[in-house]
Amino acid sequence: MLQLELTIQGLINGSMYALMAVGLTLVYGLLRILHVAHAGLYTLGAYIAVLIANASGSLLLGAAVAIPAVGLAGMAVYRLLYEPILDRPPYVALIASIGLFIVMEEAYRLVFGPYGETFSTPYLAGRLAIGPIGAKGAEVLMVIAAFGLLTLLALLARRTRFGVAWRATVSDPAMARSFGVDTIKVRYVNFFVASGLAASAAILVAVLNNLVEPTMGSVPSYKTLAIIVLGGLGNVAGTLAASLALGVIEAFGTIYIGHLLDRDAIAFLFLVLVLMIRPQGLFAAK
Amino acid sequence: MLRLEAMSCGYGGMRAVEALDLEVGAGEIVALVGANGAGKSSTLMAIAGHVELQGGRILFDGDDISSAAPMARVASGIALAPEGRRLFRDLSVRENLVVGGYVRDAGRQARNIETVLALFPRLAERFERPAGTLSGGEQQMVAIGRALMSEPRLMLIDEVSLGLMPKMVDVCYGAIRALRARGLGVLLVEQSTERAFAAADRVCVLESGRAVWRGSAAEARGNSAVIDAYLGVGRATADAAS
Repeated sequence: MLQLELTIQGLINGSMYALMAVGLTLVYGLLRILHVAHAGLYTLGAYIAVLIANASGSLLLGAAVAIPAVGLAGMAVYRLLYEPILDRPPYVALIASIGLFIVMEEAYRLVFGPYGETFSTPYLAGRLAIGPIGAKGAEVLMVIAAFGLLTLLALLARRTRFGVAWRATVSDPAMARSFGVDTIKVRYVNFFVASGLAASAAILVAVLNNLVEPTMGSVPSYKTLAIIVLGGLGNVAGTLAASLALGVIEAFGTIYIGHLLDRDAIAFLFLVLVLMIRPQGLFAAK
Repeated sequence: MLRLEAMSCGYGGMRAVEALDLEVGAGEIVALVGANGAGKSSTLMAIAGHVELQGGRILFDGDDISSAAPMARVASGIALAPEGRRLFRDLSVRENLVVGGYVRDAGRQARNIETVLALFPRLAERFERPAGTLSGGEQQMVAIGRALMSEPRLMLIDEVSLGLMPKMVDVCYGAIRALRARGLGVLLVEQSTERAFAAADRVCVLESGRAVWRGSAAEARGNSAVIDAYLGVGRATADAAS
């Protein structure tokens, strides 16, 4: 029974990683940029949601505003930060991205204070149980949201004309453009979707912990960067698998070697070990 | 239909093709032959808009398209099956075709896919498979089919037979003849002079970026020794030596 509970806990954490890491790997696949500032957008989503939820009394309204707003913010990051330096070596964009992430964290600290915001009424804190197995409402919603949103994304990518054009652009941008695909639009949509997914993950984490703080993106940023390497950079299916695998490993590790290492240390130990054995990632992109 | 007037093109400071005059009419197959680096692929890529024009003009139906974007050229009826095929490898055959027809509205897509599958029935069996997993011959079919999806009047096909099994080459040339019969103009690059002379109506030989011989395919067959000498092919010299 413990194993089952740990697996479920792992899948819950893995769902959160997946929502965030898929966006990161999408950006990498399209532009070959390690988009560290993704975690800054993640935090932005949580702040917008908590402020609107507390002002209006509706978490749903907070999420409905925060997700598209962060999507637009992601598009602005592409336009203002990355687009002007796309023809530079990749480390230029990486440095710019790290810089923006630091600026964003400091801006949240300056504007909202270092101690963080809480929801004036906690949401989804009740426990849902099937027999002996249970999880908090926010945790259940995390899994449903990750499954639902990522399935929707897969359907859009496979079944629609634009989705096919998007994947063609990832595969060979110059050829896709020559066939009439608007590859600039693909980039904007890519950033909108990636950032919106990160915002949805952040809102659920904020609800779960009932806390939004300036540095809430730090640990997820390191972990999701490592996850997309594990998943084979740019490989969406691999990233999903790596997210869930990391979640489960963390959950088991916390119980079985938790007296030696804390949860984040276990995650990074796992990542270091895997990358030592398979430096190309578990699922290397073709 | 297509007319190159003293067209020069290249990459940065490097000249790949020098003052080339060439015409391709509707319902006609023209083959470009030449040694590696003679400028054959560069010519096709310049017509499709992927290589910088450095002089002269490209006319299509009398319109000067020299500075048109690649996509505009596709929309006006020029399609390219490029060197190395450059398929979207992770995308299925169907999806490659969808992208190929992106300049046409979605309504015509189904009809154009039918046309491609009628031309290459084998692709129907591979329809949902990732293009990267197909054999070389099947990939060439996808490359030609993808180009056809934009309803071109002029097809540019690079390296038709390179790396393909003879049977597949026959299938591809069968399709190219079928396209000619429908009134398409075809400008193709071919490594094998034998294949080129058999399939084409006219032949243009390039050497170091210049046209050095041109004529009908029948004339080319009669002058194959001369042409082989231009190509500097080992085959001709080796045959002579033995």
